[in-house]
Amino acid sequence: MRARDLASETWEALDANRGRSLLTVLGIVIGISAVIAMTALIGGIKKALVSSLGLTQAKAVYISVYTGDPITQQDVGYIAQALPDYEFVTGISYGSADVTTQKKQTNAQVMGVSPEFFQAQSRHASSGRLVSSDDLDRMSTVVVIDQNAVGLLFGDADAEAVGRTVRLGNDDYTVIGVLPATGAATGNGITVYVPRTTCCARITGSQTVDQIVAFARDGVDVDQLVKSTKSTLEAHYHVQQDASSEGGTGGGIMVYSMKQIADQLNSTMLAFQLLMTTVASISLVVGGIGIMNMMLTNVTERIREIGLRKALGAKRSDITKQFLLESICLCLAGGVIGIVLGYAGAFGLAKAAGAGIMSGMGGSGGITPVIEPTAVTLATSICVAIGILFGFYPARHAARLDPVESLHFQ
Amino acid sequence: MDLVLDVRDIHRIYETEAGLTHALRGVSLQVRRGEFLCIMGPSGSGKSTLMNTLGCLDTPTSGTYLLEGTDVSTLDDDELAELRATRIGFVFQSFNLLPRSTVLRNVMLPLIYSDCPVREREERAIRALAAVSLPEQYFDHKSNELSGGQMQRVAIARALVNDPALILADEPTGNLDSATGDMVLGTFRRLREEGKTIVLITHDPEVSAWADRTVHIRDGRLLTDAQERELVRHSSTGGRGLT
Repeated sequence: MRARDLASETWEALDANRGRSLLTVLGIVIGISAVIAMTALIGGIKKALVSSLGLTQAKAVYISVYTGDPITQQDVGYIAQALPDYEFVTGISYGSADVTTQKKQTNAQVMGVSPEFFQAQSRHASSGRLVSSDDLDRMSTVVVIDQNAVGLLFGDADAEAVGRTVRLGNDDYTVIGVLPATGAATGNGITVYVPRTTCCARITGSQTVDQIVAFARDGVDVDQLVKSTKSTLEAHYHVQQDASSEGGTGGGIMVYSMKQIADQLNSTMLAFQLLMTTVASISLVVGGIGIMNMMLTNVTERIREIGLRKALGAKRSDITKQFLLESICLCLAGGVIGIVLGYAGAFGLAKAAGAGIMSGMGGSGGITPVIEPTAVTLATSICVAIGILFGFYPARHAARLDPVESLHFQ
Repeated sequence: MDLVLDVRDIHRIYETEAGLTHALRGVSLQVRRGEFLCIMGPSGSGKSTLMNTLGCLDTPTSGTYLLEGTDVSTLDDDELAELRATRIGFVFQSFNLLPRSTVLRNVMLPLIYSDCPVREREERAIRALAAVSLPEQYFDHKSNELSGGQMQRVAIARALVNDPALILADEPTGNLDSATGDMVLGTFRRLREEGKTIVLITHDPEVSAWADRTVHIRDGRLLTDAQERELVRHSSTGGRGLT
C-alpha cells in the first residue's frame, strides 16, 4: 500500500466522521492550548522582565551594610576604591517629607540620589532632565518626580510639571524632570528624587547613606562580583560570616543584584510551569483515552469494511497503518487547533491583563507572548505520540480481525 | 489441461464452543480456465466454508489447494493477502461497497492493495465498469445512490479490476429481484464468454442454469456424479409437479 493511498483513505474516513472527530479531539485541544498559552505567556513575561530590567540593570548591585554605626559617603568611597570591578558606586539616602502643591498635600518618600543612580536603573526622563552632578555640588533645591506623582500632585498625569514648584518639607523645590510611571505604583504613596546632598542637608539632617548602588563594569561576572563584594566588606567591617546572613541581628552585609532577582523569578515561574504542565498532561491523557474510545467504536462500526479490505488483499500491516494514521491525524488536528487557540488565548490574555500581571511582578509595560518554534514542535510531537500510544491498541485490534467473520458481521 | 483451481481432499475443522465442527469432509474439485462453475448447496452444507477456502480467506485443515499451481496451504497471512489482491475477485451477496465513496473509487479500491501505479488506476476502473455495462453517468455517484442491480455490477467491476485468475461470487443474486438477478447473471455469462473463470455459490437452482457445470455440496462433501444425476432427476420432476 502506497503512502499516498494511505493518506487518501485516512482523509476519507476522517472526513466522513467530521463532527464526531472534532468532539473527540477536544481533550487534546484543551491540553495543548493550555500548554501553548502558558509557554507563550511565560516566555512573554520573561522577555518583558529582561527588557524592563535591561542588560544594564542586570549589572546593578545593591549593597546594604549594617554595622551599628551609620554608613557615610566615606564607606561608599572605600567600596569604589577596594573593588575596581565596579564602574561606579553611589550612595542613596532615604527620607520622608510632606509634599505640598496648590492642589494637594501628601507624604512622600524622598530619595537622595546621584546621577549614577538613574544610570544603574536605566531610567530616563520623559521630559525635563534628571539630577546632575552640578545639582549635587550646589545642593540645589530641585526635584524629579514620576508620572504618577504628576497626576497626584497636579491633578492630571499629563500636566506640564517641569518648571513648577512644589513644597517639600520646609523648602520650595523646582521640578526639573519627569520619569515615566513604573507599573509598581500602588495606593497614594509617591516617591520623589532630590540630589543626595540636598536630601542630607534639608530633609534627613544627617550624612547617613541608607543604601549603596554599584554598577559592574562591562564583561564582569556579576554573580562573582556579588560574592567578592560580600567577602571584602565582611572583612573590612569585621562582620561574622554567619551573622551577615539574611535576618542576622548583630549586623551584616547584604549584597544582591537584579540578576539574582531575575533568576529567582525564573525559578518561581518554572515551578508554575511545572504545575500547569501537570494539569495539561492530565487533560492530554484523558484526551488520549477519548481518542482510543472513538477509534475502538470506529473499528466496530467498520468491521465489515475491514473484512472487505482484507478480502480485497489488504495485509494486516495495511489495516494497522490505516487506523494508526487515523488516530495520529485526529491527534494532530487537535494539536494544530490547540496551538492556534493557545496562541490566540495567550495574545488575548496578554492584551486584557498583561500590564496588570507585569506590575504585579514588579515590571512595567505589557507582555507580548512569545511564539517559540520549540514549543510548537514539542506540542506537535506530543500529539503524534498520543496518537500512536492510544491508537495502537484499536489499530492492532482491527488488523487481527478475522476476514470471514468480519465480512458477515451484522 | 489449464487448471485454475485444483483442490484435493480438503478438510476444514472448526473449534467452536460446542466442540469440533467438521465443515468440509474431503472435497476435491478442479476448475479449468474459462469455466463458469456453480456450487450449489443448502445452508449448513459447508458451501460458505468452501467459498472462503477457495477465496484464500481461510486455509484448509488438511488437503492441498493449488491456485494456478501455487500451494495455498504453505502461504502465510501476508502472502495470502497478496494472492487475494492479485488473483482473486470477490462478489458478495450484500455487495459490500463503501457507501460514502464514489463508484469509481469503489472499483479502484483493490488496486491500492495490489500496488497498481496511480495513473493506470482510473483507466482500469473505467474498463472494468464498461465490462459490466454500467453507464458512465454513474461513475461519480456515491455507491449508496445506486439501485441494487447497479451496485452489484459495480461490485463485479471491482472484482474484475485486477484481472484476477478467479472470480468468486457468493450468492450474488440473493439480494436482488429475479429480473435484476438475471441481468447480473447475464453479466457473469458475458465475462465467461470473454474467458474469465467464475465460481458462483448459490442455493437457487435457477441460478445454476447459467453455469457451464454445477456441483452439489451436502454435509461437507461434494456429491458424486451418480448422486447428482439422482438429485437432478428428483428436483426436475419435483419442479414439473409444482408448475
